[in-house]
Amino acid sequence: MQGQTAREFIIEVDKINKEFPGGVRALVDFSTQVRKGEVLVVIGPSGSGKSTFLRCLNGLEEIDSGSIVIDGIPLDDNRKHRLEIRKEVGMVFQLFNLFPHLTVVENINLAQKLVRKKTKEEAAEMTMSLLKKVGIPEKANNYPSHLSGGQQQRVAIARALALMPKVMLFDEATSALDPEMIGEVLDVMKTLAREGMTMVVVTHEMGFAREVSDRVIFMDGGRIVEEGTVEHFFTNPQEERTKLFLSQIL
Amino acid sequence: MITPRARRTGLVFNRSTFFDILKFILLIAVLTFLIYRGTLGLGYNWQWFRVPKYLFLLEDGTFTLGPLLNGLMVTFRITAWGLVLAFAFGLVTALFRLSHSFVAVVVARGYLELIRNTPLLVQIFFLYFVMAPVLGIERLFAAILALSLFEGAYASEILRAGIVSIHKGQWEAAHSLGLTTFHTYRYIILPQAIRRLLPPLTSQAISLIKDSALVSTIAVYELTMEGRAIVADTFMTFEIWFTVAAIYLVVTIILSLVVTIMEVRFKVVH
Repeated sequence: MQGQTAREFIIEVDKINKEFPGGVRALVDFSTQVRKGEVLVVIGPSGSGKSTFLRCLNGLEEIDSGSIVIDGIPLDDNRKHRLEIRKEVGMVFQLFNLFPHLTVVENINLAQKLVRKKTKEEAAEMTMSLLKKVGIPEKANNYPSHLSGGQQQRVAIARALALMPKVMLFDEATSALDPEMIGEVLDVMKTLAREGMTMVVVTHEMGFAREVSDRVIFMDGGRIVEEGTVEHFFTNPQEERTKLFLSQIL
Repeated sequence: MITPRARRTGLVFNRSTFFDILKFILLIAVLTFLIYRGTLGLGYNWQWFRVPKYLFLLEDGTFTLGPLLNGLMVTFRITAWGLVLAFAFGLVTALFRLSHSFVAVVVARGYLELIRNTPLLVQIFFLYFVMAPVLGIERLFAAILALSLFEGAYASEILRAGIVSIHKGQWEAAHSLGLTTFHTYRYIILPQAIRRLLPPLTSQAISLIKDSALVSTIAVYELTMEGRAIVADTFMTFEIWFTVAAIYLVVTIILSLVVTIMEVRFKVVH
């Protein structure tokens, strides 16, 4: 995007609140902005609200108050806005959530045809180039159950990329993987980051954060406790809670 | 008893299987003997040779269906339409119950409770004697409608359970890709749910075939009604009812087999 249409922030989150039934406050007056091309890593203990924050960004969770604007489109009750935002925001889940009754190719083709209204040929071309990008073109016609966890997650990334989103969200994308498969998924994510994709990544992988992140947010109790570059977190964390958390995961 | 080995390799014939079959044959023989003795006591005049012409006629090389097989064709028509409509009613009701609309939920619940808490026979009579004259619908359609409304209520419970059983992550993945609710149901949720539901939906289809016998009470000439008419004409009570029962059995067993084959072919591995 250039000229007058250029927007400084592609994600604008202003004072959002989210309370779950039972009174758990997952997000408390949470605000942040993400620049185009920025890689934001969100860390924090479980229950700190980091996944909820991510899921609010594409409307998988409803916010109680505050506002979210993605690439100039407000995420509100308007169904069109919501679908429009979901086209522009890809998401990768902890448990992959591939469609088990569809082959790898069909998983990646589906939304291209239904949402982007591509022809079969256009979709197939895009799908093959994405499978090459994530390194498993040979698995094109397999079903997800025949793939390893790492391969499934790479298919899930390709599926999200197929819509050519402007933002990618990663919700603990490597947490459910066997250790030897984490690397292959992180490699794909690093490539994306270096290509300039705007990414919000919830993860415990500080190595990933160190290599490609522009900014790290440490969350606890639904609030931002500390925010800064990854160097700041490694060398000079200010808050006690941050230090404690880092000592546990590093 | 199916041994683990039998489960892997299909049928295994061994000593215990042999005795099982022997016991089964013995049981059938004893039952047959008891029936035979009973009919002797009644002085029943068996006339099996008269039955075939009620099934089909073969004259001068032309084959025509007899009344029983004609009745079976009507049963097929009722069942086929009934299945389509029952599935439609069931699906709409299930989706209504799962929707966020208050009205839709109430409508679905009302329909379910009404159907499940009244006898099918009364529903058939109600539709035929009350609604049919009011709405001007014909006999066969009234029969089909009554059966499909009844089976649809049960099918909806099966479908609802199947839809709910699909993991929440499937919805989230579909939504995150920008799919609408309709597309998510159409391409993601229902294809998975229906594969899981084939066995219970088959039972429901078999129920529909069997329950279709009840529409003989409003004089729809399906298999059971034809049977009743022939018995009234010929007094071959035993032969005809045995034959009618056997026809139903053959049809339902074939249906079960077809679905078993489908299940194997469309199996989803998780």
